[in-house]
Amino acid sequence: MTDISDKAREEFFSEAQEIVENLSRNLLALDAAEQSGTSDPSLINEAFRAVHTLKGLAGLFGATKVGALSHRLEDVLDDVRLGRQQLTAEVLDVLFASVDVYGQILAGEKEGSDDPIPAVGDLMGRLEQFGVQAGPASSPADEYDLDPGMLAVLTEYEEHRLRTNIEQGLRLYRLRVQFDLATIDKALEEIKDRAKRHGEIITYLPTGETTSAETIELDLLMASNDDLATLIGALGGDNLVIDEIPRQRASLGPATAPPSATRGTEVPRPASDRALSVAVPPAVPSEQPDVSLKAVTQTVRVDIRRLDHLMNIVGELAIIRNALARLSERLRGEGQRQLSSEVHRLHRSFDRRLTDMQNGILEVRMVPLGQVFDRLARVVRQISRDADKNIRLVITGAETEIDKLIVEELSDPLMHMIRNAIDHGIEPAEQREEVGKPAAGTIALNAFQKGNHVMVEIEDDGRGIDEERLVERAQTVGLLSSDEARELSRGERIGLIFLPGMTTKSEASDLSGRGVGMDVVRTNISKLGGVIDVHSEFGIGTKMAITLPITLAIVSSLLVRVGEYTFAIPVSSVSEAIVFDGTGVRLVDGREVMTLRGASLPLCRLDRLLNIGHETTSRRQFVVVAALGSRRIGIVVDHLFGQQDIIIKPLGKSLENVRGFAGATELGDQRVGLVLDAGALIDEVLAAATPGSDVDREGAWLI
Amino acid sequence: MPRVLVVEDSVSMRAFVRSALEGDDPDLGEIDVVEASSGFDALRLLPRGPYHLVITDINMPDINGLELVQFIRQSERHRSIPIVLISTRSSERDRDRGLTLGANAYLAKPFTPEMLREEAARQLAAGPQRTEPHD
Amino acid sequence: MADLVRTGEERLSRIRTEERAPREFLVFSLAGELYGVELTRIREILSPPPLTPVPRAPQDVLGVCSVRGLLVTVIDLRRRLKLEQPETTRRARILLTRMDGGEVLGLYVDEVHQVVRFPHTEIEVAANVLGGDVSEHVLGIARPGDILIILLDLASIVGT
Repeated sequence: MTDISDKAREEFFSEAQEIVENLSRNLLALDAAEQSGTSDPSLINEAFRAVHTLKGLAGLFGATKVGALSHRLEDVLDDVRLGRQQLTAEVLDVLFASVDVYGQILAGEKEGSDDPIPAVGDLMGRLEQFGVQAGPASSPADEYDLDPGMLAVLTEYEEHRLRTNIEQGLRLYRLRVQFDLATIDKALEEIKDRAKRHGEIITYLPTGETTSAETIELDLLMASNDDLATLIGALGGDNLVIDEIPRQRASLGPATAPPSATRGTEVPRPASDRALSVAVPPAVPSEQPDVSLKAVTQTVRVDIRRLDHLMNIVGELAIIRNALARLSERLRGEGQRQLSSEVHRLHRSFDRRLTDMQNGILEVRMVPLGQVFDRLARVVRQISRDADKNIRLVITGAETEIDKLIVEELSDPLMHMIRNAIDHGIEPAEQREEVGKPAAGTIALNAFQKGNHVMVEIEDDGRGIDEERLVERAQTVGLLSSDEARELSRGERIGLIFLPGMTTKSEASDLSGRGVGMDVVRTNISKLGGVIDVHSEFGIGTKMAITLPITLAIVSSLLVRVGEYTFAIPVSSVSEAIVFDGTGVRLVDGREVMTLRGASLPLCRLDRLLNIGHETTSRRQFVVVAALGSRRIGIVVDHLFGQQDIIIKPLGKSLENVRGFAGATELGDQRVGLVLDAGALIDEVLAAATPGSDVDREGAWLI
Repeated sequence: MPRVLVVEDSVSMRAFVRSALEGDDPDLGEIDVVEASSGFDALRLLPRGPYHLVITDINMPDINGLELVQFIRQSERHRSIPIVLISTRSSERDRDRGLTLGANAYLAKPFTPEMLREEAARQLAAGPQRTEPHD
Repeated sequence: MADLVRTGEERLSRIRTEERAPREFLVFSLAGELYGVELTRIREILSPPPLTPVPRAPQDVLGVCSVRGLLVTVIDLRRRLKLEQPETTRRARILLTRMDGGEVLGLYVDEVHQVVRFPHTEIEVAANVLGGDVSEHVLGIARPGDILIILLDLASIVGT
């Protein structure tokens, strides 16, 4: 390159020489470390950086031989520092050899000689043996309790160091230090020296908070085996503050701190200052033998975010547990019976403990529905005043507990339904008295547990749903033909309120006694894994009954494969799974149906329904019977993977119009599997059946 | 005369950049090149500005280039200085992070003096930038 | 045509009245052409992780993926703008952007280049008809040097 100054070229040779000399010293230190069995990651990193820098410089200054050699060495050293290649004696030998070869090359290039150097060829040959190994997939640094701002500015290498340290169980500390810009180099060297004895400093991040233009504050991220007290003793100073980064600390807040609000929902706090309570039996056995331990309980307040974190960990442990099961099977398949049953035993006990832990955490997450009910009560007072109606609100079952997540998602739909009940359901006082009802309307909020579910009901003694008008309206809007209208059962007619577009705000009052948006309400409830049923008597009143699973967080699901897709079906919607060989299927009114224990079961071919067509490779398929209430369908799948606990994440708004999915879940290895919405699928399959047919009656509305 | 801060721990790299920027180029004109040999040096030199451009390497020990970019973008005084990252192709993830954090451009090593001059000229011509807080 | 010019101008004048300072754009390739979106709307750039297609989702939805535990819907920008879809290379990237409601969307692009700054005076209104469906979402055109960069209005593409 002609336009590089001579001065620059001189600098290049001088620096290159220095780098090689440093590399040599570095390798000696590495050799010594390996021999004594210790390993210092910073030494390897230094060697890598040396070679990396040489490569970069060689490229700029046109020193091709240096560049080529450095490139190859860089690959090998990168593998070593990222854990993909072991630093064996062989590797060290080659590295030492490279120091000599560099010397020869640099001498040659400085003289401007173009003669080939045989030693280079030899060395390159030796380097070939260290192929790039496929290392552990570098997953992004997640699940740490670190400030995301700090994570975002770590280079790839620093992130690797962080991960390695955490995997080895070291603790993370943040050292916040103030420096005088003028003397920062010395001060830093000093801290580094002291800190090196206790651990590894991963990175230095300026905090951006400066008291003056001449000082700077840095956050040092450090990994160490020592505890906080030791570190403070060794490194503490006037300008240095050390904090442990809480990842392993299971701390619980002080008893007087109020519970933190999550996701912006306002948690009502009545005078008794309700908290998320955990009953903790004392660990010390009582001295008086006849005092029951169970009688003494204590409560602690817990931050919901910590519970979410714990839940995530449990979810991941579940995935590991499943991997154990698969390992056991694999071992058996390879003839390792002994090992296989040992692993299987491990799996079983892990499973038991994990279930216990899961249940334990879930219990902590449960909150009484009363939280939502109280808020609704205030809304009721407000709305009835606005609507100028006299309303009596009766609440039962406020102590019924349900997962905190569900409670949050429930408040909007409940609010919506109550608003409807007040605005459109309850008639004005005069009308009520005319028909002999008390002037004050009654709205009842009931909650109770029913097996694995929680029932929440909203009942009113208002005007009820006018089915006739509903059917008329559906025809006007074009949702039903007059033939179809005639065939509707009572339950189906009332169910029309759930169809989108049925009512507008202005028509709501005289039309159905219910207002707009019931389709949205049903979708939201469906997303929570619940169903909503409506019962109504014209002139007497209406009852909306919501059935909800008790917890949302971890759902036991059946994993299945259809074509290339893996889907999850929550076990609460599955009644059974059977082998299916394709025989016994008949067509009824254009739909496929099979007989199961004497009753017809409409079939759902997911590949056709979802348009994910494929060639069925296996003759042997399965039918998963999905049931909700009294409606059932049989979902045809290619393969059953088995049951697995999963965390369902909702699909985003951009996918809200896609039917059939309750969300998605991580299948491990960063892959995502879609979770089927059994309720929606049942609707879709049964709705497609012509009204009034055999098939349709199988899936009649609950009434 | 525009002043450029070059942050790079390799001596010859700095010499290379200086040589490229101080070369004869009508587009670039006269440039005052200031060298920093580490992230700390850069922090020390920044208050002695003003600087019209920062050229920095990503992989430096202690304070790395990404941290420097974030520091500059979060600082009231310096946030509008254009930043060019010098990076190696082998870490596209680092490069992507650098762009997201607010660097304006990157040059992948190896590059020619012309390429560096062009990029510098481009950034200097565009002037101080306006940043809005990122999400 | 006149409509396009008017909407383009409306958008530009909205920007101009908001502030006079230059705006920064992240430049990337789609089907061989250069496009830019405002950098402030981009949260992160990543290499595409494994994507799971979503059956019966709109055509331009490539699928969903997990980014550090967050479920992200990925949209193929080329399809959304009705451009050609050349074969994917290692240089393809996903740009993460946050929508108003809080959802994070991923935008699939062929290659990311760099961030360029344009003073508003350098942004022209696009009066010509551009390929595919691009015209509806264009903020303007910039021509640094000899290069043509089509600046897109991200809000209109993803529906805020």
